[in-house]
Amino acid sequence: MNGKKLACVVLMIFIGIATYAGQIVHQKAAAKRTEAETAESDANAAKSELEIAETRTTKLRYDSDELRRFLTAWTPHIDRVQTQSEVEESILASLRNASMLILSQKFEVRDNRATPVIPKIVRASLVLEDDYAKTLNWVGELERRLPLARMMNCRITGGENGRQVHAEITLEIPLINLLAEMPVVASATTKKPSA
Amino acid sequence: MSQYLCHDFKTPRTDMSRRLPGSMRVVPIFFYAVALATAFFVFNDMRALQQAEQDRLAAIARKDEYLAAKTTLDSEKTTIDAELFRAEAVAKWVEGTRVLQPITVAIARAVPLETNITELNLERSADLPAQVSMLVRLNNSTLAEVAKIESSVNRLHYRSFSPSQAKQGDLIEFRSMLVWQEH
Repeated sequence: MNGKKLACVVLMIFIGIATYAGQIVHQKAAAKRTEAETAESDANAAKSELEIAETRTTKLRYDSDELRRFLTAWTPHIDRVQTQSEVEESILASLRNASMLILSQKFEVRDNRATPVIPKIVRASLVLEDDYAKTLNWVGELERRLPLARMMNCRITGGENGRQVHAEITLEIPLINLLAEMPVVASATTKKPSA
Repeated sequence: MSQYLCHDFKTPRTDMSRRLPGSMRVVPIFFYAVALATAFFVFNDMRALQQAEQDRLAAIARKDEYLAAKTTLDSEKTTIDAELFRAEAVAKWVEGTRVLQPITVAIARAVPLETNITELNLERSADLPAQVSMLVRLNNSTLAEVAKIESSVNRLHYRSFSPSQAKQGDLIEFRSMLVWQEH
């Protein structure tokens, strides 16, 4: 093999190396393009999810607006009675202001398991005897003063004389927790531990 | 003058290699062609590689941005859901807190002076707090007073369900279930 042939062989080796390098770079570029396309498709999917979330949240915001405004309007009343003593104080103050004759009074706290928003309810049982108009005015004033109070029973019978009435009143006042969280519902897809 | 012959083309030269065969002559041409093509394609691929990398990074940045915005929206949804949960519980309670005093006043005003209300009992249902069970005992009255009581309660937007009345001499007992009606 003379020098010219050797030079041709060397050139052919260079040709092979250049072709191989070109292919490698081309494959890398193709792989990177595929990665970019995948990232683009992921970004588009994330954009679609964002649009769905935006629509859902806007609808929820719109649908719940009235109820949330309702809660905002009631929040001052809720904040006013947060403990049993505040309830007692409020009722007794209204009785004192109206100068009502109290025959008996009982306050008890009950646990409420129906909802975590109202964990406790104060039940007030009052027996009063006073003037008819005064008693009814006091009942109205109490319902105005404690708008969250639920009058469970109101029994009015005749008093000792014609002008007086005997009133047995049972009230329930909720102690509302506005920081209560929604109960977490266990997922139905949770796997059961294998036996 | 030189000692070698300069114009002798017939005598074979021993200090020169033989010519390449015809097929191998294209090798240098092919080499240049491949070198140029490789340079062209590598240049293009490198540009495409850089562009793809930039696109990939931009897409990842956009995806992160969308995910962050979605997380914010999800968090807002959670807050609204929690607020709704509380509001619904409060609304459910408030639904059963309609005042009873106007009913007592309306009943008292519905009966004439000569009639005595010996007992007035309003009892709210524990299970359905919007419903109020009413019992009125009247002395020295007629059934006309019962109708007046019913109509005065109706004017307060309470509908009377299953009313029943029993009369024993001058004593009339009137029972009914009052249910609030929206306007």
